[in-house]
Amino acid sequence: MSGQGAHVENGIWMRAVMMGGIFLTIGVLLFATLGVFMADGKHHAWEDLEDDYHHMEVELDAQATISDHDAEELEHLHHEVEQAHLSYLSYRVSGITILLMSIAYATFIGIGGFLNASKPKANHDDDHDEHEHHGSASPIIFAFGIMIFLAGFPDFVVACKAMLSADLTPDFAMLSLSLVGLFTIVIAVSNWWFEDLPFDGHGEQIATSYPFEGEHIRKAGLWVFIMSEIMVFATFFSSYLRMRTEWCTDWAIRDGVEACKDVPEGTVVTASDLLRYDFATILPGAINTFALIISSYTIVLALKTAKNAKWEAPSGLMGKLMPTRKAAVRNYLIATLLLGSLFIVLKLVEWSHLVAEGFDIGTVQGSIFYVATGAHGLHVFIGLLVMLYLIFKADTVGYDENNAQGIEYFGLYWHFVDLAWVVIFPAFYLY
Amino acid sequence: MGEHVEYWGKDIYFWNFIVLMFFTLFEVGAVFFDTVPGTSIAITKMTVWTILIVVGIIKGFGIAAFFMHLKDDPRIYTRTALFPVLFVLLMLWGIGLSNPAGVTDLPSWCTPNWDYAEIR
Repeated sequence: MSGQGAHVENGIWMRAVMMGGIFLTIGVLLFATLGVFMADGKHHAWEDLEDDYHHMEVELDAQATISDHDAEELEHLHHEVEQAHLSYLSYRVSGITILLMSIAYATFIGIGGFLNASKPKANHDDDHDEHEHHGSASPIIFAFGIMIFLAGFPDFVVACKAMLSADLTPDFAMLSLSLVGLFTIVIAVSNWWFEDLPFDGHGEQIATSYPFEGEHIRKAGLWVFIMSEIMVFATFFSSYLRMRTEWCTDWAIRDGVEACKDVPEGTVVTASDLLRYDFATILPGAINTFALIISSYTIVLALKTAKNAKWEAPSGLMGKLMPTRKAAVRNYLIATLLLGSLFIVLKLVEWSHLVAEGFDIGTVQGSIFYVATGAHGLHVFIGLLVMLYLIFKADTVGYDENNAQGIEYFGLYWHFVDLAWVVIFPAFYLY
Repeated sequence: MGEHVEYWGKDIYFWNFIVLMFFTLFEVGAVFFDTVPGTSIAITKMTVWTILIVVGIIKGFGIAAFFMHLKDDPRIYTRTALFPVLFVLLMLWGIGLSNPAGVTDLPSWCTPNWDYAEIR
């Protein structure tokens, strides 16, 4: 749809720019606290333990014989060094991730808001029917932008890496192509927002032919999109299963699998081998699972609240947090955003731990793990960018029983992301 | 819509949320413990597989049927969601056929003309 419904002043979009500023401020503060101040403290602790370990190693090397007690103590110290390193990584990576995410949030919502605030004021004095159906060009422009971005993407990554090391040899034409694609995406998305913000429930397009006759076109389109997404994740999952059933993991060896009887333990190490046996290592994945389920529920609550015309403020603390229906919808969406952001932060912390333990993308096991869980993480992140707009609309125009379709349709995507995790988590973390 | 039906003062979404949380805890516990807590009953690999698959189906159904409203929406949406499952099944069949164990372990109806090369 485009431009129909409630009249929205262009100036309202400046609130999106303000939102971007708030995200950036929060990101910088959290980065300074977690990624710099606390991470530095952890780094010093790690260095001290490492020095102790090396001193002890040198002392023991000088001795003719090493007692069992000393060997145990050295082993214990080595374990402490590893734990201190992982602890440092947790703070450092979470700080950097929060900073990068807040920059992405601020850029996305800030540029979108600024572009829309700068648009010429619409003329409402003509014969134009406010509730007339309009097709939107934004999705096709968006798709075109993605195509251009992806065309230059492989060299885009190479060029970005090269620039970080001050190397000027890579193909910058492809970098430019990707940047043009990114810019096109931002233009399309901001125009999409501009068209959707005034939407008050009038002019929802209805399908007129089989098989979705009588259904909302946007909802049908979203389900077709989800259908394609199921196939994308099915390819990751089936390729993993194909390889996984053939690997002689320690679990398969101990379970007496015939094909693995001559294979020594430790030959094939999967991510789940490193994650599932210890409470501390399985914890991030488990918290992420709970975070996604809770976020699925909070978005359901946002939709339910928006659709409930007889909504009444709850009593107690919840009443203070959600004094009005508009604030309740916005706050449920903010809770969903925070839970989704927590998911990304914990995922990258977990990845950093796995890489530190030698499980990187260079192996077949690492490759399928990082590609599958990374693709899922990317879906979560894209969902979070869309959520920024939903929060902005909830805070300005507001959602009610007439125009809550935006939350409902986005909710379908978000639940699908949760559903994909329901398959990925047991397959890659527990099996 | 499901939110109109209430059980013990809470709507179906709330109970679905509780069920999802419980089963997630259950599947993590099943993998984390070597034996059933408080007993010496071992949790075997096959048991873990069964638990993960059954819990996955229950959780998937809970999300799709209630959170995604497939239970109350027109059937065309369920059909749309299930359509790619045909391809998933085909891929799983392919996995079975291309797996080394597939040559000897899969039933004959699943490996048509598998012995052709040997006969010739």
